[in-house]
This record gives sequence, C-alpha cells and structure tokens, in this order.
Amino acid sequence: MRALIAAATGLAVALALVLTITAMGSPPGETSPKPLLTTVPKHP
Amino acid sequence: MRRKASLILLALAVFCTAMSPLMRWYAFPRLAKIPAGQYQNAVLEAKNPTLLDYGSMQSKKVSKVTVVQTLKGNVEASEQVEKSAGRDVVVWDSLSYIVGPDGKMVSQVPERYVFDAHSQAPVHPTGKYAETVDGDKVRRDGIEFKWPFLTEKRDYEYYDAQARVTRPIHYKGTRTFRGLKVYYFEQTIPWMKVPLPRTMPVKGITPESVAKTGTTRWYTTVRKFWVEPVTGAPVYGEEIQHNELRGGTLLGGRDRVTVFAGHVKMREDYIRSTVALVKSNRVLVVLLTSYLPWGFLVAGALLLALSLWLEARSRRPGEPEAAPAHEPEPVSA
Repeated sequence: MRALIAAATGLAVALALVLTITAMGSPPGETSPKPLLTTVPKHP
Repeated sequence: MRRKASLILLALAVFCTAMSPLMRWYAFPRLAKIPAGQYQNAVLEAKNPTLLDYGSMQSKKVSKVTVVQTLKGNVEASEQVEKSAGRDVVVWDSLSYIVGPDGKMVSQVPERYVFDAHSQAPVHPTGKYAETVDGDKVRRDGIEFKWPFLTEKRDYEYYDAQARVTRPIHYKGTRTFRGLKVYYFEQTIPWMKVPLPRTMPVKGITPESVAKTGTTRWYTTVRKFWVEPVTGAPVYGEEIQHNELRGGTLLGGRDRVTVFAGHVKMREDYIRSTVALVKSNRVLVVLLTSYLPWGFLVAGALLLALSLWLEARSRRPGEPEAAPAHEPEPVSA
C-alpha cells in the first residue's frame, strides 16, 4: 500500500510539474524597434 | 529507515519515468514555438546577373544584385490574431529589398506571413491582419521561410511569393553543411505570368502604366534550401531566377526582354551567423526531444533498481531492519 502511495505521489508531481510549465508558456516579447532594411548591411 | 528510503526512491523513479514521455510528447509540442517578436535579416547576392535598365529598356550584365531580406515579428498583430484563431500565432512582416550594383533600389516586395507558432502551418486571418504580398491579399496553403520543428524527409507545400502560388518543394536527400546534418529541398516554379511589383525602379513607371501597353511579366525559379531538421530552420538558400517582360508595345517590337536572370546565393557572413544561430537553437530543441526524455528514463530505471535493492535488503532474513530502540530500564540498587 505504501509503495502504491509513493508511486502515485511521484506520478502526480510529474504531471503537476509538466502541466504548470506548459501552462506558464513563454512571454510574447515585444516587436523589435529595428526597421525593415532598405540598405545592404555590412555584417550580420 | 531502509524501507522509508526505498519508498522515496520509488516515488522519484516513477516521477522520472513519467517525466520522460510527458516531456517528449506533451511538453515539447507546447513549449517549442517561434517567438512572436523575432527579428532576423539575411543578405543574398547574385554575381554577374542580367538586369533590365528601365531607362533604355535594354538588358545588360551587371556586377552584382543584392537581396536584403528582413523578417520582423509583429507582436501586437499576433496577439490580435490569436484571439480569433485560439492558438499561438506568429505574424511576420517581411521585406525583400533588391539593390542594384549602383546601390539603387531595383525592386521591393513587402509581405505579411501569418502562421502557427508551433507547427508553422499557415493561418488565414481576415481584415486588418490578413496575409499579404506586395499589398495584395493572398492565401498561403504552404510554409514559407521556415520548416516545422522536427522536419521530415518528405515533400512539403511551399508558397512562392512572386507567383502567389503554393507548390511542392521536394526532399532531395540528406547532406552535411558546415558540420550540420541538413535536409536538402528543391522547388521548381515553371514559367508563369506574375504581377508586376507595385514599386518600380523608375519614377513614372507603374504596374498600371505597363499593363496598359499590354506587356506582361513572366517568372521561373529553381529554389534550393538546406534545412536543419531539428529546428526546421534553413541554414542556406539559393535561387536560380529568371524574370522577363513579354509582349505589348513597351518592348519596341521585341518578343521578350530579360528583367533579371541570375543565381542568388546567401552571403558568406550571413551563412556563418545563420549556422551559429541554428546550432545554438538546435541544442534547446534536442534538450526537450532527446536529452531530457532519455535522461529521465535512465534516471527512472536506476532509481527503481536502487529502490528495489534497498527494499530487498530490508527484508533479508537474519538482517532485521533497524531494531527499535529501547529505553534503558532504570536500575534499582
């Protein structure tokens, strides 16, 4: 019974962690202030 | 004590074993996405191409034509499209700016490309945020600029912005490019009548004024991409392109005139920076698809083995689990 509880705990923590990470996602960021280029840049 | 430790190890083993598939098949498809605010540019060059001089309407060999391509993620637009699409969307405003040997503009084609941030499948918003090419509303039924993460060895549908058509781009084999394993793709667009660019290199000449003369623009290209399959990012590209004006009164009795004919290749410094960028991004994707899932699986197996070993030891006959400590009896004299 104890082993079953331990296994269930491990599984629940894994699910909670993955669901939390994916729900948080990543911040959208901002539109770059740099322009669409109309000159040939010298280097990247 | 051993039994307690084996139970903790069992919980950790289940945690790690569960994390392995969850990371690969649940977290990865949701976490791997193109950032909405990405900004990137590339420079491509055609050496000794043929270019039309609109002043004299004569084609001539020139030393070089340069294509400056900029992709700029429009975060505000992507947030608006996401509200109606109900999924993560990227809106790229791009500009292909073509410069002649004298540094003057030859042509420019602005585009708006809207796609799913995870799968790179095109999204078709309407109204203000609709996908466009050179100001015209279009519908892309294939990818453009970038392949999906974990690119497969198969043909893809690829959108051609000049011809405004989606055609297959064929997988032609696996190669090694600058130390990276890449998939080589090739697409041929046969001769097609295409719209004239809205911005012409000579003032006074407009697409409408050319159309009135009965002259039409025709185009063919062979497009080549070397794509890093884990990230789906092209690390190198080439295009063998021919543009002609045909018929009408503008050509002074000639049947056809070459507008541009050349072999466009990515400039060396941009190849190096693109390869470096893709190499660093590749590590992040491989981490989620391979390193972490396999690492968790191995750790889970090891922890389970350790847990079972501890459990077995605690049950071994003749080696009882820690004996309960007894309080010493008070000694009475």
